[in-house]
Amino acid sequence: MKLEMKNICKSFGSNDVLKHVDFHLNEGEICALLGENGAGKSTLMNILGGVLEADQGEILLDGKVHSFRTPLQSLDAGIAFIHQELNLINDLAIYENMYIGRELKKPSGLLDHRRMIAETEKVFERMALDISPKTLVRELDASYKQIVEITRALLMNAKLIIMDEPTTSLTDPEIEHVFSILRTLRQQGVGIVFISHKLREVMEICDRYTVLRDGNMVSEGMVSEVTTSELARFMVGHDVRSDALDLENNRGDACLQLKGLTREPYFRDISLTAHKGEVLGVTGLLGDGRSELFSTVFGAEGSYTGEIDLDGQRVRMHSTEQAIKMGIAYVPRNRKENGIIKDMTILENGTVVSWPRLTKYLFLDHKKQKREFEKQKLALHIKMGAENDVITSLSGGNQQKIVLAKWLSENPKVLILDNPTQGVDVGAKEEIYDIILALAKAGVAVIVLSSEAQEIIRVCTRALVMYHGGIIGEVSGETMNEHAIMRLATGG
Amino acid sequence: METAQNNEKSNFFRWLAASWKKNSFFSTVCALLVMIVLQTIALGFNYPSFGEWFAAWGKNWINILRNNAGVGIVALGMTFVIISGGIDLAVGSTMVAIGAVMMLLIDGNANGVLSAIGITGVPAYLIAIIAGIGVGVLLGECSGLLIAHRGMPPFIATLGMMKICRSVTQQCMQKISPSVPKGFLAIANTRIGGEIILPILYWLLIAAILYAVSKHTAFGRQVFAIGSNERTSKLSGVNVKKVKRRVYALMGGLVAITAMIQIARIGSMDYANAGSGYEMDAIAAVIIGGTSMSGGKGSIIGTVVGMLILAVMNNLLNLIGVPPFLREAFKGVIVIAAVLLQKQESTN
Repeated sequence: MKLEMKNICKSFGSNDVLKHVDFHLNEGEICALLGENGAGKSTLMNILGGVLEADQGEILLDGKVHSFRTPLQSLDAGIAFIHQELNLINDLAIYENMYIGRELKKPSGLLDHRRMIAETEKVFERMALDISPKTLVRELDASYKQIVEITRALLMNAKLIIMDEPTTSLTDPEIEHVFSILRTLRQQGVGIVFISHKLREVMEICDRYTVLRDGNMVSEGMVSEVTTSELARFMVGHDVRSDALDLENNRGDACLQLKGLTREPYFRDISLTAHKGEVLGVTGLLGDGRSELFSTVFGAEGSYTGEIDLDGQRVRMHSTEQAIKMGIAYVPRNRKENGIIKDMTILENGTVVSWPRLTKYLFLDHKKQKREFEKQKLALHIKMGAENDVITSLSGGNQQKIVLAKWLSENPKVLILDNPTQGVDVGAKEEIYDIILALAKAGVAVIVLSSEAQEIIRVCTRALVMYHGGIIGEVSGETMNEHAIMRLATGG
Repeated sequence: METAQNNEKSNFFRWLAASWKKNSFFSTVCALLVMIVLQTIALGFNYPSFGEWFAAWGKNWINILRNNAGVGIVALGMTFVIISGGIDLAVGSTMVAIGAVMMLLIDGNANGVLSAIGITGVPAYLIAIIAGIGVGVLLGECSGLLIAHRGMPPFIATLGMMKICRSVTQQCMQKISPSVPKGFLAIANTRIGGEIILPILYWLLIAAILYAVSKHTAFGRQVFAIGSNERTSKLSGVNVKKVKRRVYALMGGLVAITAMIQIARIGSMDYANAGSGYEMDAIAAVIIGGTSMSGGKGSIIGTVVGMLILAVMNNLLNLIGVPPFLREAFKGVIVIAAVLLQKQESTN
């Protein structure tokens, strides 16, 4: 089945997400769809999968015009969309998952288990897979789960499969396993759209590529004719470092040192040094292990192997309480889940870390609590109503500043920030960057984790790039540009 | 003039309606007031003088409060447990276990452990009370350990504790029946101003202390924090496991005080039936008082009001002659109505 998408436009309000995009896919071809976050990849594929409707443009299958209003219509036309989060029920057997919602029944109305198992076996045979359809999905490893989703698509007679970042949660051998299945499918004439950030994988498995940037199709061609660095440049456009940093001479003694830190399966053999007065960036793609690495350093995860030195002293991290006493502060990612306590007031959210310290004769010293909070509120320019309003009454940027405030009252030696500007508007973003730089100037060792290369370039003195749980390279000064970061982050 | 009055009236009702919608605690207090008015009417005014009516009315109130002081104290602890995101089903059974330990220690006759080594009277009572609280805290710590360190759902862990405590106590105590010395009875039965109000005073004192703990101590605020968002609390340096363990230990300690009041009040303990249903009455009071079952929100004052609603309603039903079997149904209705009101508030 040959797919053509012509002149597709889509906007949300005044935001044009897709601007006259063309996309095509031949029978038995694997095409990579590349682009940064927000480039429009998901929107384009959601239009193909019937999740969204295009404002303009048409979709042709084998030359015939189709329009999909629901995912079901798209599926009926032979298009299957496999999302990043797999859609399987762990406690059911494979064959039950295959037929969920469209179970085969006997005339009596009871389930026809035998036929469902037989049909599943047939598809597995076609794919040269040696697993029993009666296995529980829970017992499968991540690659087999991915494969079960693919075979389910085949069972529904899909001629075209969209895969959204299928390898993020897989290990290298598992990825190889999925790729061999994809090659089999290609031979059988199934077309595959492969959405990924990992350029090395694209080079390995794909025939063709299409790159989107800011809703425009900026480049397409055969994979055999490009290099990973060319692809990286297509994705980011040009290199920019908007702010020259005068922190280069500010670097002091080593503050936090990690030696051979390992916690399987998230990260292994990590060695790095964060100095006083510098902003150290750690970047990479989703699932590279950086968040797990630093929540472990903060004592939130428990066991690890390897060594952590703080100011030259060997320490063993086993609780967050201990990490705080040692002068480590940690602003986690996903503010809503990890950063704020939604039922509590602004004041309480901004002081929760300090409660034990603020206790005098068994009771909290409310006066001191307010005094300390007031100081941070002025220093961080927090715009808010009454301090007894709930935290959720604030904008994202101000909520994030409250999370920062609760740490700054403790005067940390090391400040770890994971995705510090997630869900924060542009103005507040700049303010948070200024705060970070000011803290570094004052001698704090700041570590910024982010997957946004621009953010890393904007605030960091130097940055380490992680890939699949290891540090793959370091960038600083001249070499710190989006292109170099993207190349390293994708494993090249 | 008339229109102004009308305006005032409609303003009052508007304020009432708005407050009712905005704040479920307000409606809870209203419910309590209505119930008190009904109860007062049901009690009747058929007395020769105001003084006598007032005396009868007061006596009725003292009865209500005294009868509910025990469960009331348990409900205070349950408030902390539920705010922390948990539940404790074991309270009725641990009370029996603690009661047995206390009885064995205070008995002045052959069964008494302390009297066997020559300690009697006040020192024995003190030791018994301290030991009882110790056992309560220990049993609470057991639940807490299972919940905080083994990651067991609170419902399951405390269900297990509930079965274990009552069963073991009954087995151990089937051939021993310690008696309570007169002196110990004074703990609950000493008359103040001619009335037995000590259990009520214990309840109010503990409520006042726990109110302060819930509002003004790091521990109290941390209980709210972990109930609302455990992950954030942990990442803010709250020792979640320790706080949870302490919540169940506090519950155990409060159960011990209830056990003490119970023994001193009645002078005996029925190991098979005493305290059964306490957990549900306590949970009902907490929920009616506006504490959220999913944790993070609630108040000690709310629980006291919730307990009063249950108590006054029971008294009212008794006064108007509703058969005892039916009274539980009314409790059920009140709980469901309270939660419906809170739902409405949260969607508003």
